[in-house]
Amino acid sequence: MIDTLRAPGMIATAGMSAQSERLLAISQNIANVQSVGKTPGADPYSRKTVSFKSEVDNLSGLTMVKVAEYGTDRSPFRVELDPGSPAADQNGYVKMPNVNLLVEMADMREANRVYQANLQVFRQARELVSMTIDLMRT
Amino acid sequence: MIDAISKTAQLPELQMRPAALPTTTKSGAVGGFDSVMKSVATETVNNLYKSEMTAIAGINGKATVQQVVEQVMAAERTLQTTLAVRDKAIAAYQEISRMAI
Repeated sequence: MIDTLRAPGMIATAGMSAQSERLLAISQNIANVQSVGKTPGADPYSRKTVSFKSEVDNLSGLTMVKVAEYGTDRSPFRVELDPGSPAADQNGYVKMPNVNLLVEMADMREANRVYQANLQVFRQARELVSMTIDLMRT
Repeated sequence: MIDAISKTAQLPELQMRPAALPTTTKSGAVGGFDSVMKSVATETVNNLYKSEMTAIAGINGKATVQQVVEQVMAAERTLQTTLAVRDKAIAAYQEISRMAI
C-alpha cells in the first residue's frame, strides 16, 4: 500500500517527465524550421510529434502518464521558390519543413501550463504532508 | 555528497526488517517501544540513502531532474517525521525525569 500523500508526487513527477518530452519535440521542431534536404527534390525535416497514454504502474497500482509514441507529422511540405538552394528541383522550388512556428509556440505554451499544473500538485501534496507532520511539534 | 549520511548506510545493523510487534516481546513493555523507534530510524536511513543515490545518478545524467526532486522530497519528509518523533520521545523522557519522587 503506497502512502496516499506520496502518490500525488509520483504521478506529478511522471506528468512533468511527459511534458518535458513534449518540450523536447517542440524544441527540435523550432530549431529545424528551415532545415531542407541535401539533394535536389529531397524531403526536408518533418515535424516531430509526441502522444501520451495512461498506464497503470505495476509496483504502486497508480495510473501514470507515459509517452505513447514519438511520431512524425505526415502533412504536406511547404514549397518555396529558391533556385540557389542545393535542394531546389529543376524548376527552382525547394521543399520546406511542415513546421508552423505559431503552432509550435501554442504547443509550447500548453506544455508549460501543464508542467506548472503538475508542479502545483507536487507542491500542494508536500505542503499537506509538512502541515500534518507539524502536528507532532509543540 | 554528505559523508556522514553516506556512511550510516554501511553500518551492518541497519537493514530493512519489520519491527517486532510489542506483543511478541517477552521481556515486558520496554522491547516494543525500542523496536518501533529502531524501525523508524532504519527506514529514515534507507530513504536518505536512496535519495542520495538518485541525486548522484542525477549528477551523472542518469536520472531526470524530476526524479531527483521527488526522491529528495521523500527523504526530506522522512527526516522531518523522524525528527518530530524523536523530539516527542525526548520530551516524554524529560517529562519522566521531572516526576516528583
